[in-house]
Amino acid sequence: MPVKWLMHFQPNQGTTLTSQVMAEACAVAESFPGVSRDGRWRSSMTFYRAVPRDQSLPAPSDLPRDLIGISLHDLPNEYLFVMRSQRLILRAHSSVQTVMDKLQSYKGRFFINFEGLQYKWGDFKLRIGKCLYNPNEALRGIVMEVEYLPLSSIDKSQRVMEEFYEIWREAVASKLLAGQFINTEVNFVEYGLGDSYTPQHTAVLYGMCVVQVIASSNKNQ
Amino acid sequence: MEPQQQAGSGDAPPKQVAQAMDRLGRAARLIAEIRLGADRILEALLVSNENPRLSEKAAELTLGEEDAMRRHFLDLRTVGKQLEDSGVLSGALRSRGNSWGLHMPLVCPDGAVVAYAWKRQLAGQAGASAVDRARLALKAFSDQKRRFFPQLEDDQLNRSNNDTIKFPPTKRPRLLHRPTQSPNIDSTEQKPMLADILKSIQTEAPGVTISTYQRLEWSKRAESLALDQPKEQILSNLSGSFNEVAVIELVASGVFRVLVSLHPAGSTDPDAVAFFSPNEGGSYLHSRGMSVHHVFKHVTEYADKALQYFQSSDPNKALSHLLSWICSHQSLFTKNCSKCCKLLAMDKSLALLLPPVHRPYLLNSKDHDQDFATAYHIGCSSYDV
Repeated sequence: MPVKWLMHFQPNQGTTLTSQVMAEACAVAESFPGVSRDGRWRSSMTFYRAVPRDQSLPAPSDLPRDLIGISLHDLPNEYLFVMRSQRLILRAHSSVQTVMDKLQSYKGRFFINFEGLQYKWGDFKLRIGKCLYNPNEALRGIVMEVEYLPLSSIDKSQRVMEEFYEIWREAVASKLLAGQFINTEVNFVEYGLGDSYTPQHTAVLYGMCVVQVIASSNKNQ
Repeated sequence: MEPQQQAGSGDAPPKQVAQAMDRLGRAARLIAEIRLGADRILEALLVSNENPRLSEKAAELTLGEEDAMRRHFLDLRTVGKQLEDSGVLSGALRSRGNSWGLHMPLVCPDGAVVAYAWKRQLAGQAGASAVDRARLALKAFSDQKRRFFPQLEDDQLNRSNNDTIKFPPTKRPRLLHRPTQSPNIDSTEQKPMLADILKSIQTEAPGVTISTYQRLEWSKRAESLALDQPKEQILSNLSGSFNEVAVIELVASGVFRVLVSLHPAGSTDPDAVAFFSPNEGGSYLHSRGMSVHHVFKHVTEYADKALQYFQSSDPNKALSHLLSWICSHQSLFTKNCSKCCKLLAMDKSLALLLPPVHRPYLLNSKDHDQDFATAYHIGCSSYDV
């Protein structure tokens, strides 16, 4: 599948993130000639915590305490799990969520929804979205996904994505948005992932990105 | 011939135009009749030469034809005069004041008839473009026919000629003989063998995997690529015998998949080339297909020009040059433009961000160590190469 980069918006020191930024970012995307809007997109993430069966016994150390579950917009029939401590990713059918609910071995502690607008620009696809904290729909961050359709090799597409990132950053800076987009850097090798891009790579990117988003939003509050 | 109403200047322009079109049609039919008559006279002469017994009958035929031809010529002269008077052949009426925006049909130098001159200007194209398009279509169809139904070629010609010329069949093949098989490659010293070309390209560009297929084999493989992308790079699949090779596939892992077709199969004459993304698959993946991605679409368009150039400037080595040129595209997504030094550039007219997709293909006169090392964005190519 085509390679993707994931960025999040880092507001300037002392400013707070508002939904105005989302509108401004979309305006930057739409300002490039040849960009066409391509509908909306929506992904969601659940942070699970292990529920110990027997409260008196200590939790076994080899089981992860925290689990991230991700439902991606371009794979509606699948559900991915990321165990960050073990660097493991699991790809399952979307019905596994009902299994999780029934088993109650892990309980969803909090939820994050990503939703926003999608754009097509030649061989690129851009998705700009708000990162909303469920249940109170508080805006935690703005993310942008960039997909380059012709290539699936991370290595071979590196330079193209870098240059695109530069072009995007310059455009954002010239439109005087109150902050910058920062790319999510991940060492895929640690997760046992190869050069050919897969949904597992996306899951890892989102996992990492959300951590950074939450950290920066906590810092700015 | 039925008497024609003269189109007076009192007639409305549409009627004049319609009559002019009608007359042009008649003129065309008369010319066809004259041609047929000439053929018949020739045939009669040849038959009487072959077969003195039939010479009396041939003489009768000739005289009859001569009369008919004379009549046709007179009619043609009349129609011609009418057309000339109504301004068709000279386009003099183009600037007529009260012509309702209509103009007389114009006969262009290449024989095309343009019914309405203003349409030419509106369409922004020369009036002969419809003829060119038809000609191109005819060429494309006859190329396809020749490739996929080679056995039909001679039959068709024999059949059509038997209608008009009653020749003994043995005479026909000599006049119509066209070599359908290319000459044995081994016998020509200048033309290198397919196997050698492929071997030298493999050593020249080790990053590119080359495979060869027969036509049907490739169709199956293209379909299978749609269903399941091979995870690891497949090993090069060179056919055992090179006599039937019709498709050469070049894959640079993660960068491109290029298909080159050879015609006739087993020769070293490339006839089409197309670039695709390595993650594409399906029945549209062939040397005359087009990628869904913009970058590869543009490279393919440019590759067509390169192929034509190689075929015209050095036909014996066209395949070698083409394959070398293709292999230089391994750096398609990493090599900066030789003019603006950037990788991605916004093409204003296309409204697309593209890497440099134009790699100049001109050959030096020295003809060795051609490395096709430069690359340009579409907007940065200062000349048409």
